[in-house]
Amino acid sequence: MHKYIFKRILLLIPVLLGVSFLVFSIMSFTPGDPAQLILGESAPKAQVLALREEMGLNDPFLMQYGKFVLNAVQGDFGRSYTSGREVFGEIFQRFPNTLILAVIGVIIAILIGIPVGIISATKQYSIMDSTSMIAALLGVAMPNFWLGLMLILFFSVGLGWLPSGGFGGWKSLILPSITLGTGAAAIITRMTRSSMLEVIRQDYIRTARAKGVTEKKVINRHALKNALIPVITVVGLQFGYLLGGAVLTETVYSWPGVGRMMVEAIRSKDTPIVLAAVLFLATTFSVVNLFVDILYGFVDPRVKSQYK
Amino acid sequence: MKKVLLLISSLVVLLTLTACGGEEKETKIKDTLVVAQGADAKSLDPHASNDQPSSRVSSQIYDGLVSTDGDMNIVPALAESWEHPDSTTTIFHLRKGVKFHNGEELKATDVKFTIEGMLASPQTHHIIEAVDKVEVVDDYTVKIITKEPFGPLLHHLAHTASAILNEKAVTEAGDDYGQHPVGTGPYSFVKWDSGDKIVLKANKDYFLGAPKIENVIFRNITEGTNRTISLETGEVDIAYDIEPIDKNQVKGNENLELVEQESLSMDYIGFNFSKAPFDNKLVRQAIGHAIDVDILIDVVLDGAGTKANSPIGPKVFGYSKDSKSYEYNPELAKKLLAEAGYPNGFKTTIWTNDNPVRLQIATIVQDQLKQVGIEMAVEPVEWGAYLDGTARGDHEMFILGWGTNTADADYGLNALFNTANIGGAGNRSFYSNKDVDKWLDEAKSSIDPQERIEIYAKIQDQLMEDLPVDPLFYKTMNAGINKDVKGFKLNPAGHHKIYGVYFEQQK
Repeated sequence: MHKYIFKRILLLIPVLLGVSFLVFSIMSFTPGDPAQLILGESAPKAQVLALREEMGLNDPFLMQYGKFVLNAVQGDFGRSYTSGREVFGEIFQRFPNTLILAVIGVIIAILIGIPVGIISATKQYSIMDSTSMIAALLGVAMPNFWLGLMLILFFSVGLGWLPSGGFGGWKSLILPSITLGTGAAAIITRMTRSSMLEVIRQDYIRTARAKGVTEKKVINRHALKNALIPVITVVGLQFGYLLGGAVLTETVYSWPGVGRMMVEAIRSKDTPIVLAAVLFLATTFSVVNLFVDILYGFVDPRVKSQYK
Repeated sequence: MKKVLLLISSLVVLLTLTACGGEEKETKIKDTLVVAQGADAKSLDPHASNDQPSSRVSSQIYDGLVSTDGDMNIVPALAESWEHPDSTTTIFHLRKGVKFHNGEELKATDVKFTIEGMLASPQTHHIIEAVDKVEVVDDYTVKIITKEPFGPLLHHLAHTASAILNEKAVTEAGDDYGQHPVGTGPYSFVKWDSGDKIVLKANKDYFLGAPKIENVIFRNITEGTNRTISLETGEVDIAYDIEPIDKNQVKGNENLELVEQESLSMDYIGFNFSKAPFDNKLVRQAIGHAIDVDILIDVVLDGAGTKANSPIGPKVFGYSKDSKSYEYNPELAKKLLAEAGYPNGFKTTIWTNDNPVRLQIATIVQDQLKQVGIEMAVEPVEWGAYLDGTARGDHEMFILGWGTNTADADYGLNALFNTANIGGAGNRSFYSNKDVDKWLDEAKSSIDPQERIEIYAKIQDQLMEDLPVDPLFYKTMNAGINKDVKGFKLNPAGHHKIYGVYFEQQK
């Protein structure tokens, strides 16, 4: 098991190298001069040229990339072109905000998705099933930003219960995490339902019922455990997606997270921030995936025996 | 399974705890004013940033030697008085006993340090490049010597970038000074949650008296609609830049008020003199008459602008109200085109960047020019390529804007129209008129305000006659405020002062 985890962590290295190379190339070959960006539009030409030289922007592309990797390995991602701040500190200031939203969003999604999915599957074609499937369809189809605005209109403007945005206290977490959790809940519901349906039609479930095991036990003990594997995969993917892709929700709620920071950095061609943020999110995503793989083992011992 | 549940539930508990721990007391005892703007500041070091979101915060933290009032007239600030012993020297007498937020007293050496720092900074060099050297006479007297006589010096010293810094604070903070600003202003810096908010608190020792409001929070709310919503829910007391679409929402709410004022910026359509037929004055004038600016203001700006009669606006020193704008008159436009030798019009292209307002202007103007026979294609160009291309002269017609941020005519006219600034320095029309060059230099180097006003009037008349650019409108800026916020005034340069603002209950 430990060996397996170690191997997986080692695999991160080529992944991160690939990601960084891709992003580095994109940022280098798009128009716009970083030196001009740092010094401002009215900076004298000579100073811009001097800074280009100092930053090594005149070096061959591969050499620039090599230098970046060397520095990054030592934890030095440089300073932001626009704010002049240390990139590393900036990301660590923002990441907890994104993480909190993603974790609560996923918890909401799990708390809604799994029970509703189970009920839908066990009572297939009942009114309850149809209602929850329609709701799930809506949840998947509804754009995040629209749901966000509607929640703000209702709970902030209409009822005045919750803040409409910004970061400050547990109240400010409620609307954004519901907004994030809704879409994920819908996907998890559908996944749980279909996975459960598949399992409860299998022979061993019929055997269990024939032995006289109570229906509750059949579902919770025998069926759920086997139906959970694809659900865990989806939860893990959703979590990763919420960590990296919560840009719209963060924008609607003026939430100071990594996603929004990254989009703003791309707009202003702030390469150090973009690179560090993408690498950071890629790492988190990979770690979440690894975590999911380990979880499989807990749910299904057959998988565990294959970890070498 | 149990382990998973245990893990999830412990995460929930942990998060609830951290969330509660992070909560701040922002209860409404109303000693805190919350201001929302559309972007986060970049740096609070005035020498490292010249963008509006940063200036809007820094201008609460710092003071300059001089400042401007709501009508952009020069008023004393850290300098109590000043005198001009000769045409290139200005002696400033500093207020005594002014303290920086770190406790240091303001001395003439800080002024010298600041201006020399500005000269060395590529971001701010252009604002103060006329200065040759700064001499410290004694602790409270400082002499600024310009290379040549420079009339707009005081306006340039009133710019937010010319805020006076404390030598010790800057040296101590080093590269991180932008996140640890120290000024003499009415509010001192407390903390900055990147991307979220900047918190300031009242400077009790402020030399003009302690501010009435204890805490000021600048929040970063990117979406225009959300700024309006936060204003409606009372989470925000002042929201800058209400979107045209939300204006009626603010006006219709009895708890809110919309304040508007003309800004220092002007949008224009420019012509490239180095390309025919724009070297022909009659053609440029014909286009001036063919464009109905009122429609542009109504449709594109939703009424938030006034028709321009000069490249500089009424709030700018040197503005001439007698300069003539071009009346909308398509018949006259056709006549002028015929006189110029283009009775059937011609084909041309207009460049614009991907700014939606400018794209709309281009589309409407395209239709208006078609009425007089000019076939104008609209070509949106990426911003970097746009700046490069217009600096080289690849373009024919183009749309741009200019903000005369120092509120002095020199800043607005010299860059745009002096032969010396052709290309990337600002004169993208490739306009060259020896008289205008001479007058611009004269007005710049005169330190007699009356004489300067007269020369600038002459220049503006000539520019409106030659029409290297067709000034369209001066944009109006706005803010939505809660009605219990009193004493708030918009500053035409965009960085509105919070000092002087109070809540109605505090009266």
